[in-house]
Amino acid sequence: MKKIQIAFFIVFLIPFWCFPQTEMENEEVQDTVSSILLKNYVRMADRNLTPSVDHSTFPQLQKEFKSAHEVTEACISCHTGRADEIMKTNHWMWERIEKLDGRGEVALGKKNILNNFCIGISGSEKSCTRCHIGYGYTDKSFDFSNKLNVDCLICHDNSNTYEKKRGGAGYPAESVDLNYVAQSVGTPSKVNCGVCHFWGGGGNNVKHGDLEKALLDCDRNVDVHMASEGENMSCVECHITEKHNMAGKLYAISSENKNRATCVQCHTEAPHKDKILNEHFIRIACQTCHIPTYAKVNATKMIWDWSTAGRLDEEGNPIHESDADGNHNYLSIKGNFVYDTDVIPEYFWFNGTADHHLITDKIDTIPVQMNSLGGAYLDKGLQQQTDKPSKIWPVKVHRGKQIYDTVYNTLIQPKLSAEVKGDSAYWKDFDWHAASKAGMDYLDLPYSGGFGFVETEMYWPLNHMVSPKEKTLSCKDCHTRNNGRLAQLNDFYLPGRDKNIFLDVFGIGLVALVALGAVFHGSLRIFFRRKSSSKL
Amino acid sequence: MKKVYIYKIFERFWHWAQVLLISILMISGFEIHSSFNLFGYRTAVEIHNISAWLFLFLIIFAIFWHFTTGEWKQYIPTTKYLKAQFNYYVGGIFKGAPHPTKKLVYNKFNPLQRLIYLGLKILVIPVQVISGFLYLYFHYPVKGLELQSLEYVAFVHIFGAFLLLAFMIAHVYLTTTGHKPLSAVKAMITGWEEMSEEEVTDRVVSDIETSILKSRAQLKSTEEYSELFQVAINRAGKKVGINSLIDTRFKQAIENSGAGYFSISKDGIYNDVNETWFKLYKYDSKDEIIGQHYRLSRTEEDFAELEKHVDKVLQTGQTINHGEVKRICKDDSVGYHTLTISPVYEKSEIVGIEGFIIDTTGQLLAERELLKKQIRTDEELKKQETKKTK
Repeated sequence: MKKIQIAFFIVFLIPFWCFPQTEMENEEVQDTVSSILLKNYVRMADRNLTPSVDHSTFPQLQKEFKSAHEVTEACISCHTGRADEIMKTNHWMWERIEKLDGRGEVALGKKNILNNFCIGISGSEKSCTRCHIGYGYTDKSFDFSNKLNVDCLICHDNSNTYEKKRGGAGYPAESVDLNYVAQSVGTPSKVNCGVCHFWGGGGNNVKHGDLEKALLDCDRNVDVHMASEGENMSCVECHITEKHNMAGKLYAISSENKNRATCVQCHTEAPHKDKILNEHFIRIACQTCHIPTYAKVNATKMIWDWSTAGRLDEEGNPIHESDADGNHNYLSIKGNFVYDTDVIPEYFWFNGTADHHLITDKIDTIPVQMNSLGGAYLDKGLQQQTDKPSKIWPVKVHRGKQIYDTVYNTLIQPKLSAEVKGDSAYWKDFDWHAASKAGMDYLDLPYSGGFGFVETEMYWPLNHMVSPKEKTLSCKDCHTRNNGRLAQLNDFYLPGRDKNIFLDVFGIGLVALVALGAVFHGSLRIFFRRKSSSKL
Repeated sequence: MKKVYIYKIFERFWHWAQVLLISILMISGFEIHSSFNLFGYRTAVEIHNISAWLFLFLIIFAIFWHFTTGEWKQYIPTTKYLKAQFNYYVGGIFKGAPHPTKKLVYNKFNPLQRLIYLGLKILVIPVQVISGFLYLYFHYPVKGLELQSLEYVAFVHIFGAFLLLAFMIAHVYLTTTGHKPLSAVKAMITGWEEMSEEEVTDRVVSDIETSILKSRAQLKSTEEYSELFQVAINRAGKKVGINSLIDTRFKQAIENSGAGYFSISKDGIYNDVNETWFKLYKYDSKDEIIGQHYRLSRTEEDFAELEKHVDKVLQTGQTINHGEVKRICKDDSVGYHTLTISPVYEKSEIVGIEGFIIDTTGQLLAERELLKKQIRTDEELKKQETKKTK
């Protein structure tokens, strides 16, 4: 009997003793960075980073380049076929043909889509195409088939001296030494990508919130991957390129769930030691826990109200006003802004598909959803064109107020930029009516003459500024009764957050009743016992 | 007041392991429900999951134990005394009235307990286990078989938790309604429960009856009956701290046990018999027997054999389990019983013998009938076969 007793205790107590033990071991192991489970990745320390060739010795690059087109010609004289590759990509086309739910295939991209920042490029190409990987994209007549229009240098310059001219339709600034740059080419670095992707929307970190110049030299708290003292990874480490087609896409302009750059390509689908955390991955994107805040260093634009634009000073000159942190909060050409740093994301279900409000679409919801992310709790992978269920994603929501046609009930593409006054560009003439007419005429779209301003929203799923593991979200950030991160995402039952008020009231009531009953019954027993003993 | 052994080691282990696990599950569970913060959410989840597995493990052990020991019968609900028990809790208990039901080995629970523990076992615990495992494993769409929403499973699980908590409170309170406020808790720790004299007597009777019933049901060889009976008596005696069969409490118990008791002096004269004994011999009172020689109820040859055994006991002090013997009753009819013979000591000297008889007549006749039937059917079969071959 004694033996059985001991055996039982051993069987039941060992797990209690074991589990905390293994828990501690896990934490110790995970503390050392090198033990993170990785695939498809070679650490910087284990790489030979010396370039295999020295372009400065090539005779093709010695002749004095009179124009940027000549550089391109020199590049493709050796790198044959590369121009054809890049000319099929989004970076060149500024559009991609993708299926939109319920609308069939649509060619969409920077070329023709509207957003709630600078609205759209149409009519202002010369200024906007400073970020096009080509030369001479001055208007919609640009020749997308001419190889010599390709700008190799904007991505491959490793000298950090190349820059495109402001308002120059993609041509380099006069100051650039094309020979020096051409001889200094290599794999794209953070700088090459950042010059456009950090400065989108007219300033650092304006658009994305998680992509900005601070990533060029940051510590682990800002981004574990790009931290200078860490792996110091460049963009193309994750955005792996095949035939010049970059993996990864942004749902401000993309629609389908394909060609995405993902965490799992290196981290596997089960990167945690804890099974419960790995299970969370089934319905929660890595980004949700690992990007607790964005715009960690410099502010990002959260709100853009175009309706207040056009206020000029007494001399009729545009006004610049900044907030206490030095961020613009009013510009005559653009209206009012609200910037914010260290922003807590909003959370949405997302299955990798997005829809877009096209310029021809009627406004049927306010705020207008400039883009909308597909997904819901009940989307378990079958409803949409996805093979995986919707996941909870952290999203930057940019809220705006922008011009629309009050008669046709559509958004308006105004002409914004021009070199001189009198060309109907709003940024010069401050005349919404003329800008709207010019913009819509340029697109061969109707404009009624009546305009107003409507609230809009734009959704930017977050992917960058991944925090160190100590700073990731913990259970209680979401599994909490009030004001949790997922307080707004309530199309599903979340343990610790949700309760059924009737059930809880009933349960607590029942427990309280039983407890009171016991106290009452016990008191009666004591009372009657005293009574009977006093009789004796 | 006496102590009686009620809860076996496994039962006590099971009970306290349940207390521990249900408490841990309850605390960590309500933390997961955000009712309070104690361990931290993650630790609470981990604790809850580990304890859930241990609890399942314990349930499997307990089910196994209940079925192998037949203890599951304790949970068969009965309406007998249900009202009395209820009335006791709402009335009698205040006036110091006795418990309407006795706590016995084969009837540990009162009807209210039976009902509630059964409910606990077949309702709440499986509900918690099933909803818990659904909660744990079927809310992610990885198996092609998932819950549309965690909501209803969570509600069932939480509802079960509230019921369990209410049960625990009532249960802990009701433990104070025993002989003394802490008797029930002490019993669950040591196995021994304090009881009143009256309860002890009831218990001895029940133990002996249980043993006899068990032996009858389980054994074919009639020779083993008396042996089992002896063991049962020794155990029952030990449990309540009685060493001699002559103890009045024991005698009283034996009176009701269905076994015949006899005591014979050194020279073969009946000193005492119990009611069962003289009824088996078809006498009207024990006075007709006391003072008589035991030769009275035996055939010549049986007496000779019995005398040998009696002499052996008197000389060696051994206890003998005699096999089946034939008795001649008052009306000259014949019966059968098994028999134990033990020595009676007085100042370390053997002064006589005592023992028990268990009637086997009915069993024996039934067995004989069965045998005859068997032989007949065998013959019939043989006849049929021979006919066929012809």
